[in-house]
Amino acid sequence: MTFEWIQVPYALATLFIILNYGLLMTAVVRKLAARVGGRPGIPVWQNYIDLVKNFALRSKINHGVMYYLGPVFRLSGGIGLILFVPTIYGSSWAQNFSFAGDLVLALYFIFFGTLGMALGAGESGHPHSAIGVSRGLAQVTTAELPMALAVYSLAIQYQTLSITEIVAAQQGGLFNWTLFTNPLAVVAAMFAFVGTMMRSPFDVVLAPQEIPIGPPTEYHSAYLALMQTNRAIFPIAKTIIYMNLFFGGAANWAEFAIKVFLLYMIPAVIGVVHPRFRVEQSIRFFLKWGLPVGILAILTV
Amino acid sequence: MVSPVLIIAIGLGTAFALGLLGSSRKTLQFGATLTALAAMSAISVIWLVALVTGAAQTAEIHTAGAVPPFAINLRVGIAEAALLATVTLTGLFAALSLRAQLLKLGRGGMAVLLVLIMAISGLVMTRDLFNVFVFIELIAIATAGLVLLSEDPRAVCAGFKFLVVGQIIAILLLVGIIFTYHANGSLNIDDIAATPVGVQGAALAMFLLLIALVIELKTFPANGWALDIYTSAHPGFSAVFSAATGSAALFIVDKVVAPAGAEWLPLLTGIGVLSFVASNVVALRQDNDRRLLGYSSVGQLGLVLAVIGQRDVLGEAYLYVAGGLILSHAVAKAGLFWMSAMVRGRNLDDWAAIRARAPMVLAFATFIAMLVGLPPFPGFYAKWDLAQALVAAGRLPVLALILLGVLIEAAYLFRWFGFAIKREAPEKGLSANMVDCGITFAAVIAGWALGWIWGAIPGQHNVLATLPMLAVLAFFALEPLPAKIKNVAAIGALLGWFTLVFGDYDPMRLIFAVVMIPGGAVILLASFTETGRRIGFYPSAMAMYAGLALLLEATTFFEFFAAWEIMTIGSYFLILRGKMSEPHALSYMLFSLGGAFALLAGFALASGGIQPFALNQLGTVGAELAPWVFVLLSIGFMTKTAAMGLHIWLPGAHAEAETDVSPMVSGILLKAGLFGLFLMLMELGRQSLWGVDLTVVLAWIGAISAFLGAVLSIFQEDAKRLLAYSSISQMGYALFGIALMNHLGWLLAMMFVINHYVYKSMLFLAVGGVYKRTHTKLMYQMGGLITLMPFTFVSVLVGIIAMSGVPPLSGFGGRWIFYNAIMDAGLRLPLILIFMAGPVGFLYLFRLIHTIFLGQLKDPHRQLKEAPVWLLVPQMIFVAFLIGFAVLPGMALQKVDGYIGSIFGDQPLVWSGRAIASEFGYWNPVAIMVVIAVIFVSVFLILIAKNHDAQKVKQFNIVFSAERPYRPETTHFAWNFFAPYRKALGFLEAPVVTSFWGGVTDGLNGTAEFTRRFYNGNGQSYAAHVLLFVVAVYLIAMGGVA
Amino acid sequence: MSQIALTCGFILILAGLYGALTNRDILRMIVAFTVANTGVNIVLVAVGYLPGRTAPILDSAVPVAEAAQRIIDPVPQALVLTAIVIGLGITALMLAYAYRLFRLRHSLDISNFTELKW
Repeated sequence: MTFEWIQVPYALATLFIILNYGLLMTAVVRKLAARVGGRPGIPVWQNYIDLVKNFALRSKINHGVMYYLGPVFRLSGGIGLILFVPTIYGSSWAQNFSFAGDLVLALYFIFFGTLGMALGAGESGHPHSAIGVSRGLAQVTTAELPMALAVYSLAIQYQTLSITEIVAAQQGGLFNWTLFTNPLAVVAAMFAFVGTMMRSPFDVVLAPQEIPIGPPTEYHSAYLALMQTNRAIFPIAKTIIYMNLFFGGAANWAEFAIKVFLLYMIPAVIGVVHPRFRVEQSIRFFLKWGLPVGILAILTV
Repeated sequence: MVSPVLIIAIGLGTAFALGLLGSSRKTLQFGATLTALAAMSAISVIWLVALVTGAAQTAEIHTAGAVPPFAINLRVGIAEAALLATVTLTGLFAALSLRAQLLKLGRGGMAVLLVLIMAISGLVMTRDLFNVFVFIELIAIATAGLVLLSEDPRAVCAGFKFLVVGQIIAILLLVGIIFTYHANGSLNIDDIAATPVGVQGAALAMFLLLIALVIELKTFPANGWALDIYTSAHPGFSAVFSAATGSAALFIVDKVVAPAGAEWLPLLTGIGVLSFVASNVVALRQDNDRRLLGYSSVGQLGLVLAVIGQRDVLGEAYLYVAGGLILSHAVAKAGLFWMSAMVRGRNLDDWAAIRARAPMVLAFATFIAMLVGLPPFPGFYAKWDLAQALVAAGRLPVLALILLGVLIEAAYLFRWFGFAIKREAPEKGLSANMVDCGITFAAVIAGWALGWIWGAIPGQHNVLATLPMLAVLAFFALEPLPAKIKNVAAIGALLGWFTLVFGDYDPMRLIFAVVMIPGGAVILLASFTETGRRIGFYPSAMAMYAGLALLLEATTFFEFFAAWEIMTIGSYFLILRGKMSEPHALSYMLFSLGGAFALLAGFALASGGIQPFALNQLGTVGAELAPWVFVLLSIGFMTKTAAMGLHIWLPGAHAEAETDVSPMVSGILLKAGLFGLFLMLMELGRQSLWGVDLTVVLAWIGAISAFLGAVLSIFQEDAKRLLAYSSISQMGYALFGIALMNHLGWLLAMMFVINHYVYKSMLFLAVGGVYKRTHTKLMYQMGGLITLMPFTFVSVLVGIIAMSGVPPLSGFGGRWIFYNAIMDAGLRLPLILIFMAGPVGFLYLFRLIHTIFLGQLKDPHRQLKEAPVWLLVPQMIFVAFLIGFAVLPGMALQKVDGYIGSIFGDQPLVWSGRAIASEFGYWNPVAIMVVIAVIFVSVFLILIAKNHDAQKVKQFNIVFSAERPYRPETTHFAWNFFAPYRKALGFLEAPVVTSFWGGVTDGLNGTAEFTRRFYNGNGQSYAAHVLLFVVAVYLIAMGGVA
Repeated sequence: MSQIALTCGFILILAGLYGALTNRDILRMIVAFTVANTGVNIVLVAVGYLPGRTAPILDSAVPVAEAAQRIIDPVPQALVLTAIVIGLGITALMLAYAYRLFRLRHSLDISNFTELKW
């Protein structure tokens, strides 16, 4: 597949849908969590309000070039991740720019936003930002490990690195999903999924009590707006990858919405009922539980 | 031509004639002595030249008008002439070195010196056993006399101990001689019949004769007396004692054992090897320079004795090998003793005084290289031929012990050199004068000349005669020029060489060549920051580059090995230039030499003694040997790539090197190991030993290195150490790629060759620039430098993006190839480590950029300027290259890909336009770059539209625990940056490997300390040692026969 | 006869060596070595004779061509003289050393001269 100009509006449309879906869904999940805790929670349009408010904020400061570019990196990372992965299987317009690269590109591009964000936060000079970054990076090294192993297991299973082909191989019924053909890989990947969604017990990166919201501590106004936008789409983008790799992908937007919501609920539910791990605890947790499953996944495939 | 017997006549005659000159005319006497010695030298040299050129035949000189055995006869062949020249020239220079003492003492001392030289010459020439005895006794008497020339009162004790042992030797010798006569009916050496080792009279006679001559060599452990002489005698005399007496004694052993038969050789081998290894071990604990030289002399003589023990397998190479070792030893040891005459202090670190004079450092380096047997000196050629012969004859233990001995010798010699270069120089520690400098330099010139001669002998590859080596010599001559001019010349030389050769290389070699030669030139741009003359830098750097250039040119084992050693020496001197690098340079040198010896053994094993052996014939090695060759060669190459276990030299060596040296030794030099691995695997392919596939072992080592290197890196506080550990990790990746033994694995490794060169050089230069400004390498002392050093920041940023593999920069290509490569490899478990190493790598990279450039600026750094422009120039070149390479990876990789395809017979990658597809996936670098750029710019524009009027605030405008901080030190989060990681995985930091190697060195040092207590200083004990030694050797020899 | 001489010689050598190794007094050591040297000289004379050969007089009885096989080489026996001379020289030198050593430390005990070691 090669580039045609029509893909640009197509991609923008995909992006628009995912953004709105993400804004609404994250609000719904927060509301659900609040209800579990016996609180009324936020209205479902709260994210829109926050976004508009932050964009409209008039007092804004700047700590330097990287600080300025940090949110740009962050949001570019999220958008890019969506655009490098085909969203809807079989759709002629939701393939985005997936011709640029395969699964490897998606996996490594996840770090693009992280890196830029970390650099921007670092330039603010706020120690909480740096502490948050250091915690986040330390945790992600082991959290992502089961995912890497699961992906390798999957790639061997399907003999391809192309996301489209992996989704194609899972078509034709529930039991063709990787979830059933390679359950070990899926379990391993879900460790990583839960571990990287910034929810309890793995949210020490943001830890409101010790290092208020961690890396973004110093961000405000449009900077924060960009990051909030990213926070709406980035989890969706990741969930899309998981959906594509393990849960048969989505053949239409309805299937997409349901699957993403359900997948997203997994870390949300776990998060609601678990206290927070310290970083070294989560590192040990992933090495003790995630890693062996991942190893089994690559050995048994 | 004059008769060589005149050497003896002149010596003796002048010695007597001195008595005729009035005792007050000391200058005249000294002139006569010098004239006589010069005449003796001239005769020897004339004979040597005549014999070598074929103008004369081996001369047999009969005395007293009778034929042997009724009269003594003398012989002068090539070996004799060479030794005579060594002896007489040493004597001549010794007279000059001893001039003050001789002039003070008058004609007596001069006569004794003349007699000594005459007797040593006689010992070399004579073919009569009794004559041997006479000369040995004359040498003993003269030695005992000359020892007294020393100002050290302890010399008297040493001389007496020497005489006591001399008496015992004389007794053994005489009894041996007379019984040998009884058995053979003749005193002529040529009439000695081959005698089996046994209990019969003839064999016992031969044993006594040989053992007396062997003790004359001061073999361990019956040598306490000789060591005392070395310690206390005047160094001018010690030079004679070591170089002339020792060489002649070796020759007489050789003369006697030749007719006695090959059965005696194992005995000599055993004693020689024991003496070589043990003396070197004991020398490890020496801090007196002359005693150290004494131990080294004993060791070297033992080495040659062991070589004499190999004369049955060396065949025609015997003279070449033994001669190379003897002459190297003689020249180097004499030179070192003469230097020691100029150094006032007796401790090893008092030699720091020589640093004030660059030529002295050159001389010191030359002598040490000669002793250790490094190219281009004769010992190197000899070592190579010896190894070949030993392996061909199946004498691997001998080879292993000899190499071990050389390694230990290198340890103390290079440690000493490190002291000289790095320790604080004592004031007025050097009494340099024209004469002593002159004779030292005569030795230096002799050393290089011998190196040339040994290389020029037909059938050898003359290392010195190659263009890169000549360039190195030229840079010695350029030393007086300013550094900037030399830098231009160096860059020109590198680029010139590249244009000469690049047309002949296959794509893979070409990639290595580009990284090593023009790549080196780019890094040299950074050297324009240096002012002054920068003495020593350019010859060392050019030696390293010459080694690399020759490595790529090498077609035979020998050429490859020679290039490898040259590269090692050059880089050692480069690394040693760093401020704190003394111990690290030493450990670099030792690991490199150890690795090189593994290569030597591997090559010897592969060639089975056939010389020259083409590199591309490596694949023809027999199936039984191939796995062992594989093991030895990969150990050698992995020492260079610093694989885990062999890595402990790297962090210090790379981190403590100078700013522009670090990128050279890291970005470029490490690739030599990869090049070797490629060559080896290309020829040998997969090998298995005891059912284990060795490439799998390599893959595991690579994976462990990649992982542990990264983990260790994140715990470093020193920026350059962080980068150094990162190199271990990166080389681990490359090793893993090579060990996958498939097309894409190799392409991955090639990608690492390019990428690692670029980003590691760039990062080292960047960090070096920061170091130049902040004067610290500790990252937590920095912070907030982004606004002050923006260009440096950009290069670090680009470097870490590329290195971490984040799209769109070129590191991602490596990751993409990696995933494709592992798809069809059977290796799964080591992958876990590799997978984990990736994100861990991200950790240390972030730490690097954050703690240096982001966070809080420190007060002392507020006035800092950007790094010097010449440091930035290469960095910006690298930045441009990284971006270009990211978009167009095909420009470097496509040809290599095709070439690797021709090796593996497959073509897994399809290059269509700018896109690349494999069986499993696809990669379109241009599209990635464009998409990311468009998204990034769009988002950026949105932000600018909203926040273009954001107010720039000052450093402390942050709210931190409800207070506004004002001290950057307490606010900059940098020290122990990944504390949680240390809590969870800190056990990986346990210095297991360091402890292991530390244990090895401690063990050796302990053995040395323990063993040297044996030399209790009592002359009577020494005499007992000698007798016990004789008895022990006899029992062992007889036990060997039984 | 030669057997007796040989035995005597070796006894002297061993006695000399024993003396040199057990006496700490330098002068006694020197004396012991001269004893050993004497033993060596006796051994030289004893062994230098080859049984069944004739005196080294080259006349009609012993033609020059066969000399090497038939005569006893006079050189070894003659060289005993050289050995004696050299032994004397060395003994003299050792005595000179003993004098220097005594001046150095006013002692002739060899175990007092051990500064150079290790």
